[in-house]
Amino acid sequence: MHKVVHSENIRAALAKKGWTQKQLAEALNVSAQAVTLWLKGEGLPRPDKLLKLATTLRLSFEQLVCVDDPDRPVVAFRKRAGTKTTDQHLNRALAMGKLLRPLVAFLPELRALRTELAHPTTDYVYLQRAAAQTRAKLGVGPQAVLDYRVLIGEFAANDAFIVPVLWGEKRTHENALHILLPATKVTFVYLNLDTRIEDFKFWMAHELAHVYTPEIAGSDEGEDFADAFAGALLFPEALAEAAWQEATRTRRKSDVVAALRRFADLHEISLYTVYCEVRAFAKAHGVRDLDLNEAVDIHAVRSAHRGQLVADRLFEPMPPDPAAYIAAAQHTFGSEFFASLQRMLREHGTGPAYVQQILGIPLADAAALHASLMR
Amino acid sequence: MSVPVLLDTNAYLRLARRVRPLLGVEFGQKQYVLTVLGDVEEEVLRSKRLRHRFPWFETDKEVASERLAKRVRLSREKREELEHSAGFLHDWVIGQAQRFVENGRAPPSAVDCRVLAYGQLWQAIVVTDDLAMHDLAGEFSIDVWHGHELLARLRSGRMVDNDQVRDIYAALEANGDLPATWRAARDKSFPRVFLRE
Repeated sequence: MHKVVHSENIRAALAKKGWTQKQLAEALNVSAQAVTLWLKGEGLPRPDKLLKLATTLRLSFEQLVCVDDPDRPVVAFRKRAGTKTTDQHLNRALAMGKLLRPLVAFLPELRALRTELAHPTTDYVYLQRAAAQTRAKLGVGPQAVLDYRVLIGEFAANDAFIVPVLWGEKRTHENALHILLPATKVTFVYLNLDTRIEDFKFWMAHELAHVYTPEIAGSDEGEDFADAFAGALLFPEALAEAAWQEATRTRRKSDVVAALRRFADLHEISLYTVYCEVRAFAKAHGVRDLDLNEAVDIHAVRSAHRGQLVADRLFEPMPPDPAAYIAAAQHTFGSEFFASLQRMLREHGTGPAYVQQILGIPLADAAALHASLMR
Repeated sequence: MSVPVLLDTNAYLRLARRVRPLLGVEFGQKQYVLTVLGDVEEEVLRSKRLRHRFPWFETDKEVASERLAKRVRLSREKREELEHSAGFLHDWVIGQAQRFVENGRAPPSAVDCRVLAYGQLWQAIVVTDDLAMHDLAGEFSIDVWHGHELLARLRSGRMVDNDQVRDIYAALEANGDLPATWRAARDKSFPRVFLRE
């Protein structure tokens, strides 16, 4: 895979330092001819010289080595509110994606037939049609409560492997992570179970949108679509209309919020989702908008009334022992992830540090999980 | 001039309770001096399981204060150098993930790469029982020892005696933490300790 160095980056770094090729050769303790050959694209330095080259010129691996990688993972985050995505987050997710590649050979047979949304847009009519057809496919009526468990089958049917994780409620940057491996079109969907139920449902629906739209996954367009689709799926037009009617019967703000909350509680979704969908309905139909202050009337109320953590619902006591955690992944989330991982670990004897890195958990926790999978 | 020897977290945890002093003391003809990175502190303290398994890490004040006093301290510039080199090593590993998941290996983590990068940048010998780290160190010409090789040198440098070597082996065995490399090296590296029993 590693063929040649990026000679233009080396030349630029040398110019910045005011060095000649000869000086570089002396610093690396190699012949000047060797440096000339590398810069001509003939051969790659030995690993130790390559690292010395990188440290001497302060070039990263990607800046130094031409890597033709058509299977570069596509990643998308569902960030925790108030966090900022940095290069470090992105690189960590990409590394997880690359480390997941060896696992693909141990997954169940991949499917040729998958569901894909044609020409996804955030147009209201399109979103409602996509949501209605998805609900019909899932056997859920237009006004029925959508349980997150009915979404699970759709992930498996589209070679999207759910990876439930316990990343803590506040410590992590992302609450869901989507990693698509382009060559095999396999997707890994990490879902943090240390999440409130109303947010969890939204993220599952959001992730399902990514699964249905692989072409735009990882782009801003993909994120916008996934958010819009999730809202429409969890609280479609018929429900939004009913909520709008109730909410607009009164003018007192507290009564309007109370009406929206009743719907949010019944459907176990966020008050904010209901609010957004009712407003989208009003805009699409040209009827009166809600007269509420989003920060004061919605977010403050939402923060004061949070649902249960999904992990607390699933496990008692917390934290779960490895066997209970693996069983929940398999049975509650219908995920073949750990069964596949187990096959790989047993066949290759792969160590706990692999589990640590693909799950983003502390090594000691990974070691306990690894021991359970190897038993 | 002394030769720095850097222990990774597992290597440290295997020895620190029973070898005192351990860090910051010159020993052997080559004047080896053991040290650790601040990552050891972070790795243990943020893991409930490790804290539960190694309670002495925090409660034994002598061990804790030695570790805090003798761990590696780097200037901002050196830290950046270390991060850069470690990032390069980790990208190298990740780009060849398949190779590092076979034959009982696991891809060295970002922290593992930081340990090796320290060895590469400042010509330190790295002590680890992780076989993939040994492979990676070999590729990048970084000096690396297994934990049992360090123990043998500690013994010949009179930092530990035969009873301590036996104790360490027995404790690791009892805790299910005796690496296969230690087991294989037992009689070969420590014939006077074990073969006379």
